Amino acid sequence: MTASGHALTTEHSPVAGLAHDTRGGISNPILGMLLFITSEVMFFAGLFGAYFTVRASTNPWPPGPEQVGEEMAEKFNLHADPYLAALLTVVLVTSSFTCQLAIWAIRKNDRRGLVRGIAVTLILGILFLVGQAYDYSQLGFGLTDGTFGTTFFTLTGFHGAHVLGGTIMLSVILYRAMAGQFSARHHDAVEATSIYWHFVDVVWIALFSTLYIL
Amino acid sequence: MATTALHPAVPAYRSGLYEWITTTDHKKIGILYVVNSLLFFFIAGLLALGVRAELAQPKVQFFAPDVYNQLFTMHGTVMIFLFIIPILAGFANYVVPLQIGAPDMAFPRINALSFWMLPLGGILMFTGFATGGAAAEGWTGYSPLAQRAYSGTGTDLWDVGLVLIGTSSILGAVNFLTTIFKMRAPGLTMFRLPILVWTVLVTSVLVLMATPVFTSALIMLFIDRNYGGHFFDPATGGNAILWQNVFWFYSHPAVYVMVLPAMGMVSEILPVFSRKPLFGYKAFVFATAGIGALGFSVWAHHMFTTGAVFLPFFSLMTFLIAVPTGVKMFNWIATLFRGQLIFATPMLFALGFLTMFLIGGINGAFSAAVPVDFALHDTYWVVAHLHYVLFGGSVFGMFAGLYYWFPKMTGRLLNEALGKVHFVLMFIGFNLTFFPMHMLGLAGMPRRVADYSANAGWSELNLLASIGGFTIAASMLPFLWNVMLSLRNGEIAGDDPWEANTLEWATTSPPPPYNFDHLPEIRSERPLFDLRHAGAAHSALPAKYAETHS
Amino acid sequence: MFRTTPTRLASVLPLAVVALMASGCASMIPGLYPPAPVTTQGHDIGNLYDIVFLIAAAIFFVVEGFIIYAVIRYRRRPTDTELPPQIHGNNLVEIIWTVIPTVIVAYLFVVSWQTLNTVEATSQNPQVHVLAIARRFSWSFEYLGPDGKSLVNGPDGKAVELPGTMVVPAGQTVRLSLHSPDVIHAFYVPQFLFKRDVVPGHENTFDFTVDATDAGQTFRGQCAELCGVGHQGMSFEVQAKTPAEFDTWLQQQITQAKAVPSPPPSGKAPSGSPGASASAPSAAVSLELTAKNVAFDKTSLDAPANQPFDIKFTNDDQGTQHNVDIHKDSPTGQVVFDGEVITGPDTRLYQVTPLPAGTYAFVCKVHPTTMIGTLTVK
Repeated sequence: MTASGHALTTEHSPVAGLAHDTRGGISNPILGMLLFITSEVMFFAGLFGAYFTVRASTNPWPPGPEQVGEEMAEKFNLHADPYLAALLTVVLVTSSFTCQLAIWAIRKNDRRGLVRGIAVTLILGILFLVGQAYDYSQLGFGLTDGTFGTTFFTLTGFHGAHVLGGTIMLSVILYRAMAGQFSARHHDAVEATSIYWHFVDVVWIALFSTLYIL
Repeated sequence: MATTALHPAVPAYRSGLYEWITTTDHKKIGILYVVNSLLFFFIAGLLALGVRAELAQPKVQFFAPDVYNQLFTMHGTVMIFLFIIPILAGFANYVVPLQIGAPDMAFPRINALSFWMLPLGGILMFTGFATGGAAAEGWTGYSPLAQRAYSGTGTDLWDVGLVLIGTSSILGAVNFLTTIFKMRAPGLTMFRLPILVWTVLVTSVLVLMATPVFTSALIMLFIDRNYGGHFFDPATGGNAILWQNVFWFYSHPAVYVMVLPAMGMVSEILPVFSRKPLFGYKAFVFATAGIGALGFSVWAHHMFTTGAVFLPFFSLMTFLIAVPTGVKMFNWIATLFRGQLIFATPMLFALGFLTMFLIGGINGAFSAAVPVDFALHDTYWVVAHLHYVLFGGSVFGMFAGLYYWFPKMTGRLLNEALGKVHFVLMFIGFNLTFFPMHMLGLAGMPRRVADYSANAGWSELNLLASIGGFTIAASMLPFLWNVMLSLRNGEIAGDDPWEANTLEWATTSPPPPYNFDHLPEIRSERPLFDLRHAGAAHSALPAKYAETHS
Repeated sequence: MFRTTPTRLASVLPLAVVALMASGCASMIPGLYPPAPVTTQGHDIGNLYDIVFLIAAAIFFVVEGFIIYAVIRYRRRPTDTELPPQIHGNNLVEIIWTVIPTVIVAYLFVVSWQTLNTVEATSQNPQVHVLAIARRFSWSFEYLGPDGKSLVNGPDGKAVELPGTMVVPAGQTVRLSLHSPDVIHAFYVPQFLFKRDVVPGHENTFDFTVDATDAGQTFRGQCAELCGVGHQGMSFEVQAKTPAEFDTWLQQQITQAKAVPSPPPSGKAPSGSPGASASAPSAAVSLELTAKNVAFDKTSLDAPANQPFDIKFTNDDQGTQHNVDIHKDSPTGQVVFDGEVITGPDTRLYQVTPLPAGTYAFVCKVHPTTMIGTLTVK
């Protein structure tokens, strides 16, 4: 839905232009990815909506010692120790940058730059996943521990699943890039994947701000 | 003007099973959608007959309450998610690329994937009957009733089935939007798009924005039920109203998903059989967009009696959405005025749509008046209202479309006499079933009850409704007979049997793969009309009419 | 294909006839009005309904009339050889038929908002405060004092819930709070023209005043939100008494509740798991009883006099509570055995202490009005 007005009325597009619009403007796969991400935004909006509804009806938030006991309340207090999560944020934001570097490279037909950028992005993505798994193991509470545990693990878990999906997509892109399948004119798949990766990054920033800072 | 000639017309649709399973042709996928949806329509119709049989008389005769609750839950779920939404998507799949002069959808393989998720989701849901009972919480699946403590595995299957069907819808919406934005033929500007394409566009935006929220709700429910989550169960700190908010945030726009494409079909059919252009094309487009936009701000009118929503706002929005709907109604009627109405079967169903949808719109206004809704909510009045909208509206519109495009899909016309029998039976049966439900609701009969007291005074009206229900079922027999007869021996349709306006009638019936050898010039929203009456817009009647009427 | 013969008229005719019939019904059949309201709030809602109904009927007749007129007047005739005028639209009429509906719905919104304010208005000090408790699948009512504490209490000081019937003084403001311990229910009395959901974790409260002239009347009420297999049977009654009668009745309940002793502790079923109770020494006689779809599978049981016996009780209703109580003589008689309430699906072995010969009733105390049977001990 971010496409420019010009792109949306390709009056002169060839009827047979099934997957690629060669007359400029946004291509079909990228428009498709943008629309799909719109739906993903609404999916996370549903989860965030649930989180804020539950949070608004629970006082205090996170539940304090009087509600869940001294020990659990301490574990719930994510504000006290946001450092690992902050580090993961840095990792993911950096990966967005490297992903964009890859895009700029292939737009200049620099295939090595593409491979390098995607490879670093992929490694950072995996690093994020490993870091999150470690974080999960250290939290000391689980999905079943009250609405706090449920919302925390559902939100971060679904984000994690999206990161996992992203790393799979990046792996495919990396494989295809190494096989030399992309060029300055033909790299819609790379563009689409990078848009998705930026989206996953933005969701994490929203999550980090909501769960650890707000 | 001409595009590359792609293939000569092949004798289509005689290909084998493998071809149908692996096809990515939007026309075959469209037909798969329609056939699959009709199959589920008949199954869900049988479930409804079970409901009407049980309610025909007081006391439990056929189905104990636990089974009865499964019947109406599956009836509602299947009719909505496996019949109305997909069959309209199916027609859109078939017609939209043709109407915009495109060779196929933008993403043909994703299109096939969208379709195949549907039967899979449907089968999953029905497996519930074999695992100790299907879902039984109503199609709305309100928590805490849908929590593990109160319901069995059937609800999990219902949940997962709906996630699949929802994903199918979302992918379909992405596909439609990309197709409509990017693949229109030269000259086909946005304000020359057929109204059906406009309604599909707005519908797709609704699906894209609303369905994911429902998916998130279903996933939260699944987590609650299977992994010890606490989203919706107040006993463990959750919020029961939260489910209703996320559910209706989707399910109210879903009502427009279910009715807008039917409105689009009717808007195609009325002009053709009135031999006039659609009155107020732009007003129609704006009304469609208006309904889409307002559709997102009325969800809580399903929750007026929860004591947990801000009543005046949602009441106002609900009243307001009547305005664009009214504009459409008046434009349809103005299209009829001073026309030359031809009462072929598609037109009859379209007129049935007008008369019945009018009632469904008007009795909806009662519920927008919040205090009146306090009296009517969750009674049979609501059942009457929703069926006047979804059956009187969407299903009549859908049948209008089916009779209208059947010749394009198969190359043969459906039999007119049988079609009229079908229409008359269905029209009478429909009103007999659902009109008495207004009175039952006012008299205080709640919906979703397996039984009622013989002293309540509801027995006669219920019997009447049951007779009506079986009449609707009977009306399907001439329809099915008609389809079977016409597929073999029906009158050969030719390219354009209705003297229609839009591009799909510019190619053969059925169209070849990739649809068009060449396209006519597009200078208005009625390219075929322009072609037919080129240079002499008001000249003599086409030979066909002259012959039949002189 | 487009034959002009009678088939065409024949197919249009029913369209017109049924539409006319349906519209005729609207004004003639009293069934299109809600029942006569019996509360102050109900009268307001009834008046609003009349306004909405009149406007709706007028719109229906006008629009449906236009459709039928167009269908008859503009049907294609053999003489129609030219194309009809190709009219694409008219901005003026578009504006007219946008503005007029907007005015109508704005008016409807304003009147319904006004009515909403009177219906939702709450009194400073209602004369009576009742707490309705809706649980699967029965209703019970507690009477609360101004401090929100129960007035009708047992000897142990615990609140006593009065099952099935809510008694209210006619002509006085009653505040009703709604509580659910399980799923969502809805409090609905058709003659109040009103309903309100009973949401677990979210207590709804509203005021109503039964017309003073309706003292002595009884109104039927029913759960209106699907709550499971017993939903259709989850009904209650509202009894209106004169304020004086009401006060006497309430005092009577208060004294009665204080006097009733707790059920004998001997009747308590073993509190262990089903496995544990199954391994307990079994009595000579064992009866079987199953609850499904909020009904017992048997209406009568026989047991030997003066010796212990077992009842193997199975609850097949998922998520629903049932038990077996044994009352002397009639379902409302003294409780001689009080079985543990279990949530289905589950099974318990109730061990009943010896009973003297006679007639008893077995009752599920969660559903005392619908789940009743006769126990003959001889």
